[in-house]
Amino acid sequence: MYTSSLHSRHCHIQRGAPFWRPLGIRQKHTRWCKMQRFDTVRVFAGEVLLEVKDLEAKVAETGQMILRGVNLTVREGETHAIMGTNGSGKSTLSKCLVGHPDYEVTSGTVTYKGQNLLDLEPEERARAGLFMSFQSPVEVPGVSNSDFLRLAANARRKQLGQEELGPLEFYGYVMPKLAALKMNPDFLNRDVNANFSGGEKKRNEILQLSVLEADIAVLDEIDSGLDIDALRDVADAVNSLKRPNSATLMVTHYKRLLNYVVPEAVHIMEAGKIIYSGGIEVADILEQDGYEGIKSRMREEASKQPVSA
Amino acid sequence: MLGHLPEVASQQAYRQAGQHFVPGPACFSGRQHPGTLPQQTRKGGLSPSLQCWGISGGQRSPRLHALPVLNSSAVTDGAAAGGTEDKWIARVLAEFQPSDESPPLPYPLEAMQTECTSALRTQRMPTTRNEEYRFTDVGPLLQIQPQVASPLDVDGEAVAAVSEAHSIKVAAAKIVVIDGVVSDQLSSTEGLPHQAFVGSLRDAPLDLMAQYLGQQARTRGSPFAIVNGATAQDVLCVYVPDGVHLDKPIHVLYIPSGHSTMAAPRLLCVLGTDAAAEVIEEFVSPATDFSTPHVTNALAEMELAQGARLKHGYVCLEGRQAMHMKGTLVRQAASSTYKLTEARLGGRLTRQDVNVAQEGEETRTEMRSFLLCGDRQLHDLHSKLRLEHPRGTADQLHKCIVAAGTGRGVFDGNVRVEQKAQKTDAGQLSRNLLLVPRATVNVKPNLQIVADDVKCTHGCAVSDLEEDQLFYFRARGVDSATARRVLVYSFGAEVTTEWPYQQLRDRIQSAVDLALANVPIMESIESEPVEV
Ligand SMILES: Nc1ncnc2c1ncn2[C@@H]1O[C@H](COP(=O)(O)OP(=O)(O)O)[C@@H](O)[C@H]1O
Ligand SMILES: [Mg+2]
Repeated sequence: MYTSSLHSRHCHIQRGAPFWRPLGIRQKHTRWCKMQRFDTVRVFAGEVLLEVKDLEAKVAETGQMILRGVNLTVREGETHAIMGTNGSGKSTLSKCLVGHPDYEVTSGTVTYKGQNLLDLEPEERARAGLFMSFQSPVEVPGVSNSDFLRLAANARRKQLGQEELGPLEFYGYVMPKLAALKMNPDFLNRDVNANFSGGEKKRNEILQLSVLEADIAVLDEIDSGLDIDALRDVADAVNSLKRPNSATLMVTHYKRLLNYVVPEAVHIMEAGKIIYSGGIEVADILEQDGYEGIKSRMREEASKQPVSA
Repeated sequence: MLGHLPEVASQQAYRQAGQHFVPGPACFSGRQHPGTLPQQTRKGGLSPSLQCWGISGGQRSPRLHALPVLNSSAVTDGAAAGGTEDKWIARVLAEFQPSDESPPLPYPLEAMQTECTSALRTQRMPTTRNEEYRFTDVGPLLQIQPQVASPLDVDGEAVAAVSEAHSIKVAAAKIVVIDGVVSDQLSSTEGLPHQAFVGSLRDAPLDLMAQYLGQQARTRGSPFAIVNGATAQDVLCVYVPDGVHLDKPIHVLYIPSGHSTMAAPRLLCVLGTDAAAEVIEEFVSPATDFSTPHVTNALAEMELAQGARLKHGYVCLEGRQAMHMKGTLVRQAASSTYKLTEARLGGRLTRQDVNVAQEGEETRTEMRSFLLCGDRQLHDLHSKLRLEHPRGTADQLHKCIVAAGTGRGVFDGNVRVEQKAQKTDAGQLSRNLLLVPRATVNVKPNLQIVADDVKCTHGCAVSDLEEDQLFYFRARGVDSATARRVLVYSFGAEVTTEWPYQQLRDRIQSAVDLALANVPIMESIESEPVEV
């Protein structure tokens, strides 16, 4: 067990409704008021799973600064979304979290389950339950999906002190997962992503997430290139993999996905920073009025901010 | 505009993917990098002259000094009138001289033999002083005393067992060629449509075959192609008439009897207009423990009429004492497609000379090669593709692993896009993996562009695995040593997965497994260029 770096907080939510609580970023007075109107049930918020503080990172090869102070806290049971224009640094943030060698973290901290994430090798992060789906997963011809998945599953199981699975046992382990995701068992025999369609690659990422039973899933544009039916399938799969102690961080351009995988928090990223955070309504503003809409809301709020805050 | 430098934009694209580019000829040699993190070859500003990646800074390989190059006229100069200039050729011709009892040959074969025999009288076999053979010393091959066994010596049962062990289940025809002669007994063509002909020249439509036999070799063949023409005892003919599509492969299995020390298998493949076929040539050893040095000097001529499509597979799994020379000559009429897929793992000294001529517009040419050089093994690929007509496509992928300090890979891939070949789309990539210190490759990807409206990509990556693939494994919890191992074992798969034939893939994979079994797959090897 790990110890949370923050104290557990109490908050009030309405029974049965999507719950909503302060996000540890910029707490807005208005939101507190809204919640106090609900029937009150006292619950403990999940423990903090991931805490990113003032994260700055550059491209290792060129030294180009990409992330300029990102702050983000994700707790167990939560679903967050990061939205932002192309090139704002969403994928860079995702890749920094999993330790991609293209980037170098220059300052700030990332705490995952209470330990310093940046101290861990990429494979150690994965085994500790951090998962990122790649925006464009690489093809690995010659390596079958079943071998790849079994290597991955066993690495994680070893970490968790579970028995490693032989090829046959693995089959028994993965088949129900495929079925739950409504995926064709044929996926197992094919080479990793080789000659997969865009949609198939995305599903394969979700299959890996499922096999690894990750605690936090960072899904980078899991919706891109999918038609509406495929999107719904992928979204259902993501929802079905949620556990009370796991969390999901979705990176997306479009509100579309968020209609199916509903986040409690939406963050807007621009030029390597999260410039605004709020609830799902932020995605609505973005959809209706674009980034200008977000900016004018920010200006509005800034002017309304009570001096006494 | 004449130049062989790759297009800058695509160079950068490959760099981003973690590749290192070397324009022009280069030689690489690996050394172990002391660090633990994967390293990439990072050297810039190379001149297009010959480069060698040596053991480490300052230390240069004595094997790689530049040598004066003789041109072919210099090689043949001084031929003694009447007699035969080259001693090895003289021995070969004497051994292959038809005796009185030998059965008469079909007339096209006899004509070719006569022509090639007389051409050989003034020919000399190449040495390392010849630019084309600079890194490939055929000396050990020329030391083998040519000896031809009588067909009566062949152990039928043993050969049948080898044939049995090398199958491709779905093949429409299986042709077994023993010491260069088609075996009627072991071959079967039942699955073929009746319009197509696959079999020995003895039974083939002779006048048709006579039009093509030896045509390409005469003008574009290597010295070994001429030797093949003089010594071939039979020709396997594949003829697919206009519009006929063979949807299953023809599997040709070449087996040395073990009694001859030299054989000259020959294939002639003629595809009519819009015909389609797949021919897989597989060269194997007569026994797993077979250790007699021998020469396989094979040649294939491929004729593709307009719109024809030929998939050509070439697999070399010969024993470790085989000297294996292979010529592949291709002529492509307009809109035809030629696709070569090659896997070479066996043999001691092997070389393929591929020469493709484009005879019309909109041809498609694809060449994919996977070579694995183990202990005291040298694999050489020399390819020449000349584009002289508009809107052609050419795509070449060369992948080579050198898994031993005594192993060497050689690649010289020449793609020449002539002035008339506007709107050509040409790509060439050579990827080489040096697994141990002193492992060496001499690579010279060479894309020459004369035409100006051409899309070309070109690259040469040396020494490391694809970083993206490696990271993908790590991001799923697999440590980098395991990931490297898996990726090295599957390095050739990008080529061999072209074959959806499980038995063939299994044979190749077990050869890969065997070759890599005792190789320490290290964290990383850094290659450094050394000027030669
Ligand atoms: N490996 C890299 N090399 C060079 N530039 C990069 C690299 N990765 C990202 N960048 C640059 O960083 C910026 C942010 O990229 P990215 O994180 O992919 O944005 P997003 O995912 O929000 O579209 C872009 O300007 C991009 O060009
Ligand atoms: Mg992105």
